[in-house]
Amino acid sequence: MVSKVLVANRGEIACRILRACKEAGLTSVAIYAANDAKSLFVELADHAVLLEGDSITDTYLNQSQILEIAATSGADALHPGFGFLSERADFARAVSEAGIQWIGPSPNAIKRMGDKMSARITMRNAGVPVIPGEEIETEDEEEALLAIEQASTRVGYPLLLKASSGGGGKGMRAVDRPEDLLEAARSARREALASFGDGRVYLERLLTGSKHVEIQILADRHGRTIHLGERECSVQRRHQKVFEEAPCPTMTEEIRSAMGKAAVAAAMAVNYEGAGTVEFLLAPTGEFFFLEMNTRIQVEHPVTEMITGVDIVREQLRIAAGEPMSCGELHLRGHAIEVRLYAEDATNNFLPAIGPLAVFQPPEGPGIRLDTGVRQGDEVTPNYDPMLAKLIVWAPSRAEALQRMRRSLDEFVVLGTVTNLRFLRELCDVVDVVEGTTDTTMIDRLWPDGWTPSLPEGFEDGALMAAAVAESAGLHRRTTSTTDATGDSGPVSPFTTLKRRYP
Amino acid sequence: MHHQFRSAEGPVEVTLAKQGEIWHLGEHQASVERDGRMMIQLANGTSGYATVAKVGDVWWVHFEGHTFCLERIEPGASESEDGGGLTAPMPGKVLDVLVEVGQFVEPGQTLMVLEAMKMEHRILASTAGQVTGVHFTAGEQVQQGSVLLEMAETED
Repeated sequence: MVSKVLVANRGEIACRILRACKEAGLTSVAIYAANDAKSLFVELADHAVLLEGDSITDTYLNQSQILEIAATSGADALHPGFGFLSERADFARAVSEAGIQWIGPSPNAIKRMGDKMSARITMRNAGVPVIPGEEIETEDEEEALLAIEQASTRVGYPLLLKASSGGGGKGMRAVDRPEDLLEAARSARREALASFGDGRVYLERLLTGSKHVEIQILADRHGRTIHLGERECSVQRRHQKVFEEAPCPTMTEEIRSAMGKAAVAAAMAVNYEGAGTVEFLLAPTGEFFFLEMNTRIQVEHPVTEMITGVDIVREQLRIAAGEPMSCGELHLRGHAIEVRLYAEDATNNFLPAIGPLAVFQPPEGPGIRLDTGVRQGDEVTPNYDPMLAKLIVWAPSRAEALQRMRRSLDEFVVLGTVTNLRFLRELCDVVDVVEGTTDTTMIDRLWPDGWTPSLPEGFEDGALMAAAVAESAGLHRRTTSTTDATGDSGPVSPFTTLKRRYP
Repeated sequence: MHHQFRSAEGPVEVTLAKQGEIWHLGEHQASVERDGRMMIQLANGTSGYATVAKVGDVWWVHFEGHTFCLERIEPGASESEDGGGLTAPMPGKVLDVLVEVGQFVEPGQTLMVLEAMKMEHRILASTAGQVTGVHFTAGEQVQQGSVLLEMAETED
């Protein structure tokens, strides 16, 4: 039985979960740091409890404080969202031991998938193809380096060194030539040790020209484990996805079915429960290889929701309550694309930006969904991830979805903070994107020296003119809109003739 | 009406004319809508609405799917009050003082350089005159509206 859900997250995904709770008739509790007191997600919760402390470690990552709030607020379930504590097996265990339902898989499943080397071994044993490579279990530096060197001759070049506890590109090195191996291995181990307290790295063959394709999984306690088709997320900058779509434009029914089976096998191998994602590399040959499993809701889950009609977060709540998942037989319908709007300077190596959201006007119209944690008037601060929103569109075909995304991005107005809006808009015109032939190296390949916008003739004149007229007309001193510009007060309001007194 | 902006490509000067409700910039035209947006008609036939917002000294403009940051360069001396104090347009740090008390300056001459939000702002003389006071030295912090320098206009 689940009746009161604590959402141990913030921002956009907290809003998504809190809204799902409301729709499911569940009471919700938000937790927030002092600098989030005015954030949208705090407003959306039935109850909101302030986290003591200043740093992220003291607040959103503070397990004991969050457990205490869960207990005192009477929450009987906890949704971790993504990031923060969502893939911490120890936290999942502590939550369960406190008698609170963890909305996600078991601590054991999180642990087995969280360690990349053990995940590779688990998958291989389950008959799921993994990227050709070798695990190096030893902790000892000299032994590990020797083993890496020996393994490299079997794996072949170019190869990839990856941290076993890694994520976000940390402790990852691409090596093109044998003479660069030892230096790369030392630095990958150093970085992995510093970032994760675990220096173990393993080797994988570097599969160039591959697509990042992932399968959404749902598993309930009633013996049902299903997949909801794939998403393609090949367009990445600095190992972070920016443009995601479903279905994958080059997918065949045959590969989908094989990949879906492999993903279901992967989930069943760890007795998975709830929503999860199995990531694969899809080579140009049609071969695919297990990359990793994310044991939580993912940022890009909306594209799957749009083409399957399944509310994945709602299903997570249902499954955690012990109910069977509600979705029947699935049919993929149309095409969905998501872009991630970041406060960042795409012209300057995607460095995060801060500032006020003086204007935040999302696009509207059919087939458009916006998942965000901000609204106009909010301040973008350096305290948290710079993702402002996810803009998702759906249309019957991929070409129409792309056209709808272009239109939506042109309409989207964000002023006061630098964003990647224009970068996203120009992505929609890149030949690889139009043709659906994107691979994971696309951004670096297209813009090796960084991206600059292409600006049609005369547009800057238009902007200069707008600024000059605004300055001359004193628009910055104007508070509200309609009446003061012309002195015209519009149609006569019937209320002005009424005599009312308040209170 | 005359304005100076600093765009990504450097400083730009803009001189506007107004006829009735229509603003002109060369062959381009603009009018202010009731909701504060602007209808822009470019000489090349492109037309569209611009949405604007001012944050500090920077005008943010959204026009035809593009977003621009145009920092307004304050026209230095105020035309007002008795020869005029020159005030800081925003809080920041004095980077350089280029004049001394008693010095005669030309219109447009840079008197002081401020830094705010990693950007430089030049304080310019709007008229010819004599510097009668310098209130800050390089490295000092200034608040928005602080009187930085004082000038007496020269009669001609």
